[in-house]
Amino acid sequence: MWKVLTPFALMLLALIVALTLDRPLPKADVTFLNRGDVTTLDLQRMSWMQDLRVGAALYEGLVVNDIFSPGMDKKPGVAQKWEISPDGLTYTFHLRANAKWSNGEPLTAKDFVYSWRRAMLPDLAGDYSGLFMLIEGAQAFFAWREKATADFAAEGGGRSRPEEAQALYTRTLAKFNEMVGVKAIDERTLQVRLERPIPYFLDLLAFEVFGPVHEASVEKFQSPDPIKGTLVFRQDWTKPPHLVSNGMFMLEVWRFKRDMRLVRNPHYWNPSAINVDSIEMPSMTDPNAQVLATQTGGVDWLSEVIPDYKADLLGKKKAYYAKHQALVDRLKAEGYDSLAIDRRLPPDPALNIHSFPAFGTYWYNFNCLPTLPDGRKNPFHDPRVRKAFALCIDKQNVAENVKRCGEIPANTIIPRDSIGGYPSPKGLPCAPDPAAIELARRLLKEAGYENPSDLPVIEILFNSDGGHDKVAQAVKNDWEKYLGVTVRLVTREIKVFRDDLKKQNYMVSRAGWYGDYGDPTTFLDLSRKEDGNNDRKYGVSPHPKDNYARFESLLDQARDERDPDKRLALLGEAERIIMEEDVPMAPIYHYCQVMMFDPHKVSGITPHPRQKQHIFLLDILGDGKGADKPLEMPPVKRSDPRSLSVPSGRRRRLSRRGVSC
Amino acid sequence: MLNLIIRRLIQLPIILLIIYTLTLTLAWSIPGNPLENSEGRQPPAEVAEAMKRQYNLDSFWTFYGSYLYNVSGAKYAVEELSGRAGQERRAAQEAGRPAPHLTPFDMGPSLKYTDWRVSEIISGSLPVSMALGAVAMIIALLLGMTAGVIGAIRPNSAADLGTLAVALVGISLPSFVIGTVLLLVFPVLLGIGQVAAWGRVQDMILPAFTLSLPFAAYIARLTRMGMIDVLSQDFIRTARAKGVSEMRVLLKHGLKNAFLPVLSYLGPATALAMTGSFVVEKVFTVPGMGQHFVEAVRNKDLFLIIGVVLVFSTMLILLNMVVDLLYRWVDPRIT
Repeated sequence: MWKVLTPFALMLLALIVALTLDRPLPKADVTFLNRGDVTTLDLQRMSWMQDLRVGAALYEGLVVNDIFSPGMDKKPGVAQKWEISPDGLTYTFHLRANAKWSNGEPLTAKDFVYSWRRAMLPDLAGDYSGLFMLIEGAQAFFAWREKATADFAAEGGGRSRPEEAQALYTRTLAKFNEMVGVKAIDERTLQVRLERPIPYFLDLLAFEVFGPVHEASVEKFQSPDPIKGTLVFRQDWTKPPHLVSNGMFMLEVWRFKRDMRLVRNPHYWNPSAINVDSIEMPSMTDPNAQVLATQTGGVDWLSEVIPDYKADLLGKKKAYYAKHQALVDRLKAEGYDSLAIDRRLPPDPALNIHSFPAFGTYWYNFNCLPTLPDGRKNPFHDPRVRKAFALCIDKQNVAENVKRCGEIPANTIIPRDSIGGYPSPKGLPCAPDPAAIELARRLLKEAGYENPSDLPVIEILFNSDGGHDKVAQAVKNDWEKYLGVTVRLVTREIKVFRDDLKKQNYMVSRAGWYGDYGDPTTFLDLSRKEDGNNDRKYGVSPHPKDNYARFESLLDQARDERDPDKRLALLGEAERIIMEEDVPMAPIYHYCQVMMFDPHKVSGITPHPRQKQHIFLLDILGDGKGADKPLEMPPVKRSDPRSLSVPSGRRRRLSRRGVSC
Repeated sequence: MLNLIIRRLIQLPIILLIIYTLTLTLAWSIPGNPLENSEGRQPPAEVAEAMKRQYNLDSFWTFYGSYLYNVSGAKYAVEELSGRAGQERRAAQEAGRPAPHLTPFDMGPSLKYTDWRVSEIISGSLPVSMALGAVAMIIALLLGMTAGVIGAIRPNSAADLGTLAVALVGISLPSFVIGTVLLLVFPVLLGIGQVAAWGRVQDMILPAFTLSLPFAAYIARLTRMGMIDVLSQDFIRTARAKGVSEMRVLLKHGLKNAFLPVLSYLGPATALAMTGSFVVEKVFTVPGMGQHFVEAVRNKDLFLIIGVVLVFSTMLILLNMVVDLLYRWVDPRIT
């Protein structure tokens, strides 16, 4: 009989071994659910939003955005002050004397030179390496290093030459100093020269990848490959206890796909700005579990609510607003944003869900090439056809009946009023406006499609998850109803979908984009013919009716224009061409970000339409630590031309790159 | 017995090589570029090319060869024997860097989670899955065998039909349904336990119970069939005739023999339970290894795909060997 018990005994043994290998952590001050698991804490390799958020808490750059100011003002970070030369090419930054690393070492201008040089090395090849190429000589340096390592590998013919590889790296450092316009003038002065003036350069510097990494701890884990000559990176330095950072927080724990914990950096130059001692970020992938954990109090801030029933939760909040209609109306009239209003209503669980306008747009791509990969003629090569189809999308219906979370119907690619002083074009009208439908039918006739049956079956390509099928269904109904065409929905798994997009193996496809920095070019550059993200191939093989040349020349003129207002006007005209004339893409709605937190308990989350969140500002109200005063955007009167709040119902809400897949 | 162990251990690398080749061929054919951020800005073409070269992703055969060289321990052996490893360690020491780790079986970096090596990912998540799997198998054995014995004592009685019905439900209901219902009932409605917590023994109960159900159901059916079969045999009648108590008949003579089919099922079942279940891990937010099977394929994270498959295969083969050994020991008639 006891033999039967051996399996039990073996299992128990396995259990005991496994349990001794594990340890639970004490509760942190704030628990926050990021958008997904962090992929890397190597600043210069980051590109996912969840990484950038943690990156901003760990590392502080030269300048920092004030995410609670309507204009996303640039505040001094590590740089106390800076000067810009009259030609706009040279930036000189003066670093603060008390800036330190989390191990107590002083932070110097050399740290920035080191970190930026890293980003310009082809050996590292970060997703955002491209942004560094705006600095003088960076492009040439990248190419030089690439050739030098290729030559090294060819010369060696597979032999291991460690000394020579090290010498090549030393040569590379000298070459960098000679070629690239980033110099440490002294310990506390950093000078940067650009290839050409970039009006939004400071905005770029507030982007996390321009922050500093700690040279000594990174270098410890890298060495040149003795055969290829390229650097081999061991990423151990991004894990505790090796990671040394200079921001408000430092890394205490990082367990893969389990949790990450940040704690207060004792050497941060401004300790009074830190509101909590620790931030916990558990890894939780199930959308329902995320909501349940937030509702039962295990999580303080859920930064992205995914389940479909979020629309119902928002409905409950609306009902709660209705109960306090008079107060809500008064607060709205006083110019308060939705979060500030929530804080002024009596506490209730219904208020814990929020929908903020985002700096991003959901649209449909039109394939602009003359033929499809299988040789069929592509009707969308003709801008009149593209325009006709764009006119016949009932965007209000998609936003209000399909998405239902406060999305705003879009007729421009850049969210209106998100960039101060930018004159957004009017954009096209859309169905069910009879004039729009009339115009669409006329355009199709002009393009040679007298009858709807002259057009082939129109295919809409989208990926299988993320609710794109519902939008596609609505658009299909519109096109069949208003244009009489036959539409087929083509759904693909995400990897196949991306592959099809890259190869232009589609007629119409879903797409989306969140702006990276506060300038129209973050959206408009996508339509440059050589851009890696121009999946539409707009301008590659233009139709006689296309105005691509003019679009491109406007972007080029804007690049060289020094007057900010004239520059924005040129960009506005460029957007008008793609939105009203050539229509390589049909905007459908502007994204909004739905999140959950108790507005009476948690502070530090901004409703700003750029939706950049700084987790280092998080504060639990009334816990006796930090400011304990809610951070809010200033109320804005609607008559104020700089106002970001648009009449209710047309309000825009939140986030840089989000749920696009 | 020693023969068996030696034979199995010799087979192991050969089977793993075949599995590696098949897995890599299939994984390589997944469409898409594993280095691409599916929602972000695409890097310039020259940067994208440099990225691919870093990981030998530019050619199937280079990748096949270099991975095999690293994972099989060949690289380790060559570096150590040629003295190059020692040289590098000294150089690192002089330069004040930590010495490069050379691991005998290097499974490479993750392509999506670039800060992590596959070995770190697996060594972090496998103990979690093993603990959960162990608890689940204990529950499954207790539930399954009890139900099976009860059913076998009076076949076709109400108790038998009842346990059979429960077993059927256990097999048929998907774990995401059972898991979600348990979550809604215990932590949310009754306030017992926490949603999505992990680390304490009590956090294990709900996921382990969910994970155990299909196994328990299968074990119940195996036990019942085995028991019914054994109880109708002559030696049981002899035992009863000798006046052995019914309890002793059932447990000593009956269960011991009826246990053999259960035991042979335990090998693959334990390997399966201990390497994690994607659904259970997702619903209860358990940081185990099951999620990597699915996520790695979705991300086309080649190193991670091959890593988890190789670890799973090794466990399966070894556990089957353990079961074969136990089998001989429990029932000496088998040689």
